[in-house]
Amino acid sequence: MTLLTILFALLFYVATALLVGGVGYKIYVYSRTPAPLKIPTTPAPVTQSGVALRLAREVVFFESLFKSSKWTWLFGWLFHFALLLVVLRHLRYFTEPVWAPIVLIQPLGTYAGFAMVAGLAGLWARRFFVDRVRYISTPSDHLMLVLLIAIGLTGLGMRFVAHTDIVAVKAFMLGLLRFDWQPLPADPVLLVHLFLVAALMAIFPISKLLHAPGLFFSPALNQVDNPREARHVTAWATGAPKPAKEA
Amino acid sequence: MAFELNGKVYETDEEGYLVNLADWDEDAAKYIAGVENVEMTENHWEVVNFLREYYNDYQIAPAVRVLTKEIGKKLGAEKGNSKYLYELFPYGPAKQACKIAGLPKPTGCV
Amino acid sequence: MAAAPFATPQLKGYPVIPLVQQGAMAHSKPFVASAPIQKALGFPEELVENWQDKAIAKMGELLGKYRSLRVYMDTCVHCGACSDKCHYFLGTGDPKNMPVARQDLMRKVYRRYFTFAGKYFPWLVGAVDLTKEVLDDWYSYYNQCSECRRCSVFCPYGIDTAEVTMAAREIMASVGQGQKYSNEIIGKVHRIGNNLGIPAKALENTLEGLEEDTKEATGVDVRFPLNVKGAEVLLVTPSADFFSEPHVESLIGYAKVFHAAGISWTLSSHASEAGNFGLFIGNYDQMRDISMRVREAALELGVKRIIVGECGHAWRVAYNFWNTLIGPFDFLDQRYPVPQHICECTYDLIQRGALTFDREANDGRIITFHDSCNVARASRMGGMPGGQFIIPRAIIKAVANHFHDMAPETIREQTFCCGGGGGLLTDDLMELRVKGALPRMEALKSVVDEHGVNFMATICAICKAQFSKVLPSYGFEMEMIGGVHQLVGTAIRLGSPK
Repeated sequence: MTLLTILFALLFYVATALLVGGVGYKIYVYSRTPAPLKIPTTPAPVTQSGVALRLAREVVFFESLFKSSKWTWLFGWLFHFALLLVVLRHLRYFTEPVWAPIVLIQPLGTYAGFAMVAGLAGLWARRFFVDRVRYISTPSDHLMLVLLIAIGLTGLGMRFVAHTDIVAVKAFMLGLLRFDWQPLPADPVLLVHLFLVAALMAIFPISKLLHAPGLFFSPALNQVDNPREARHVTAWATGAPKPAKEA
Repeated sequence: MAFELNGKVYETDEEGYLVNLADWDEDAAKYIAGVENVEMTENHWEVVNFLREYYNDYQIAPAVRVLTKEIGKKLGAEKGNSKYLYELFPYGPAKQACKIAGLPKPTGCV
Repeated sequence: MAAAPFATPQLKGYPVIPLVQQGAMAHSKPFVASAPIQKALGFPEELVENWQDKAIAKMGELLGKYRSLRVYMDTCVHCGACSDKCHYFLGTGDPKNMPVARQDLMRKVYRRYFTFAGKYFPWLVGAVDLTKEVLDDWYSYYNQCSECRRCSVFCPYGIDTAEVTMAAREIMASVGQGQKYSNEIIGKVHRIGNNLGIPAKALENTLEGLEEDTKEATGVDVRFPLNVKGAEVLLVTPSADFFSEPHVESLIGYAKVFHAAGISWTLSSHASEAGNFGLFIGNYDQMRDISMRVREAALELGVKRIIVGECGHAWRVAYNFWNTLIGPFDFLDQRYPVPQHICECTYDLIQRGALTFDREANDGRIITFHDSCNVARASRMGGMPGGQFIIPRAIIKAVANHFHDMAPETIREQTFCCGGGGGLLTDDLMELRVKGALPRMEALKSVVDEHGVNFMATICAICKAQFSKVLPSYGFEMEMIGGVHQLVGTAIRLGSPK
C-alpha cells in the first residue's frame, strides 16, 4: 500500500463526506426555512403536478434560460448534458458487473467529453467577450470553469492520448466502495484528474454549485398558483392577529 | 431647508413644499412660483386660492375633477379641464399648484 | 424641481442592449425618510449608531424567515441571463441595474458574513464588508428596482430580484435609512386610510361630485356609494382613482358596470386604499396591518364580496397574500372568487350577457394594452394560468373595435415595467423614471407608427400616473394613457335616462 493510495483514498472519503454532508445540510436549511407568502412567478401551474412539470422542464430543457439567451442556453445545456453522460459513463468504474444501460451509453459518453469541454469553453468565452457578463464575473466564476475544463481535458487525455491503467483505477474505486483499498496507479494525469474531481466535490456545498439543489427550493418556481383556493399558512407568519372587532 | 423674504423665514422640505401651512402668504407664493418658472396671473391665483379654501374645509387638496369643475365655474367652461390646468401649471396642477398654494404635496399614485 | 437636468433617451426602432456604463446612475437616490415619518412606522428615526451590526443581524433574521432570500443568495451562478432584462439597465446602461449585479450588492455582504468561502476567501467570491459605501450603494440601487419580476421570468432558477430588493429595503428601514416616499404614504394609510390622505369628508364630497358629473354626462343616476352597510360588494380601489386623471375615469367605469348589472356596492372610508406600500418596503407587518383595514371594513359593512379596482401591486397583495394575511374569508359569498378583480367581475358579466355596449363610442381610440408587472408576473385572473392576460384584452375587445398588441417580447409575462413601480413613483427619481420607461416607449412607438395607436390601456394606478408624466418626455400625448374601465365606461349602455 503506497502513501499515494492512502492519501487519495482518504481524499475521496473526505470529499464525499463534505459533498454529502454539506449538500445535505444545505437542503435541510432550505427545507426548514419557511416561505411565508405565495410568490410563484406567473403564469404558474395551478396544480402540484403542474409544478412538477414546470420544474422538470427547467431541469431537463433549461426552459427559462432558453427564453433568455440562446447562446448561454446552447453552451450551458451542452455542458450539463454532456457532463451527465460523462458521469453516467464513469459509473462503469464503480460497478461490477457494469449495468447494461451504462454499457450502452459508453460510446456516447466518451465523445460527450468533447461536447462538455466545448460547452465550458463557450461559457468561459462569454465571461470575456460580453461586457455585461464580464462585469459580473468574479475570480471564483473563472476558477470554477478552469476546474471543470481541467477535469474534462485530463479525462479526455487519458481516454484518447495517454491511456492510464484503467483496470487498476477501477480496482481502486471498487476498493474504496468496499473498504478494501487497492493500489492506485501513479499516473500524473490520473492523479490530477482525481484530485480536481475531489476538489469539485468538496467545494460543491460552499459554492454556486448549490444552484443544483437550489432550483428545487425556489419559491418562484415550486409554488402552486392557488392562493385564493387554499389558504397558505407557514410557521412565523401564522397566528396573524385577528382584527380588534373579532377578538 | 428654508427661504427668507423680507426678514421672514419660510421653512420648506427637501422638495420646496412649505412645512407650515400657516407660514404661507402671497409673497411666498410668488417666490415659489418663481422657482418653478410659473408666472402668476389672475387665473393662477384663482386656482391657488381655491386650493387653499378647499384645504381649509377638507384637509386635503381637491381631486382634479373637483378642481376642474370649480375652475370651469369661475373662469368659464372652456377652461374647466385638466389640459388648461396643465397650461397654468406645466408640472401638473396637483403638485405644482399645491406647492405654490403652500399645501402639502399630494402623495400616492399621482 | 431641484434635480439636475438629464437627457431623455432617443427612441430607436429596434431594441438595443446598451454597453455597460459604470456609475451612470450612482447619483440617483430618493430622499431619506425624515425622523417623524420613520417614527410613525416604528422604525429608528435616523441611521443608528451600530447600524452595521444591526443590519447584519437583520439580514440573518430575514435569511431565517424567507426561503426565497435564503435560496436566492446561494443559487445564482452569474450566467448573465437576466443581465439585459431590466428596464432600468436598458434605459441607463448602469451595470448595477442588471438584476444579477443588483442582487450581488447584497450577495457579496451575505457571503462575507454568512458563508465559509466569503469569510475566509472574500477576494475569491467577491465578498465585502458592509461599509458605509456599500450601504450608500444599497440605498441608491435598491431604490432603482421596481420589483417588477421581469428578471425572475428569465432566470433559470427563478431568482426574483424583487425579493432581494424588499429584504434590502427592510434592512435599511430597520437601521434608520427608510425611503421617504413609501414610508410617508404608509403613515398616511394608518392615520387617514389611504395613500393620498383623503379624509372621509373629502371623499364624500368627491364622490358626490362624481355622481353629479355622471348624471350630467349620461342623464342616468349612477351612484358612488360610501360606507353603505349591507351592500353586496365592497370595492377597494387605489385612492388615486378618487383624485387623479385619468384614474377617475376608471372609477366611473366601475360604477357604471355595477349600475348596469344591478349590483349593490359600496366604497369604504376606512379601507379607501387598495394599494399596499408595505409590499414595496418588504415589511410583512406593515403589509398585514394595511390589509387588515379591508377585512375590518368588510366585516363592519357586512358585505358579501370584495372586489379590487385597477391597481397592479394591490392585486398582487390581494390575490396572493390576503388569504394568508387577513383570511380566512369564510364570511364572504364563496360562489365568487375572494378577492375578485374588477376585470374578472366585468368579464363574467359580459360572458353572461349582463352588459351591453356601444363599441362605436370608442371608435376614436386605437388601443393597445400595457400589462402591468404585478398583475402579469405575480398574480392571476380567472380559472386558467394566463387569465390575467386574456381577460383585460377580452374586455377591451368587447367594448372597442380597434385593438393592437405591442411586440410579443414586451407584453404578457415579458411585459416591461412602466418605470415607476415598486415605490419609485416620486419626483426625486424622475430621471430614473424617464429612462426606465424607455423599453415600453419603444414598443409603444412601434404600434403608434404601424397602427396609429393613440390609447394605451392599463389596469394600474402607478402605471397611469407614471405614463401621464413620462409620455410627454418621449413626444407622446399625456392623454394616451388610461384605464380599461375608462373604455368600458365610454361604451357601456346604462339603460334609459330617468
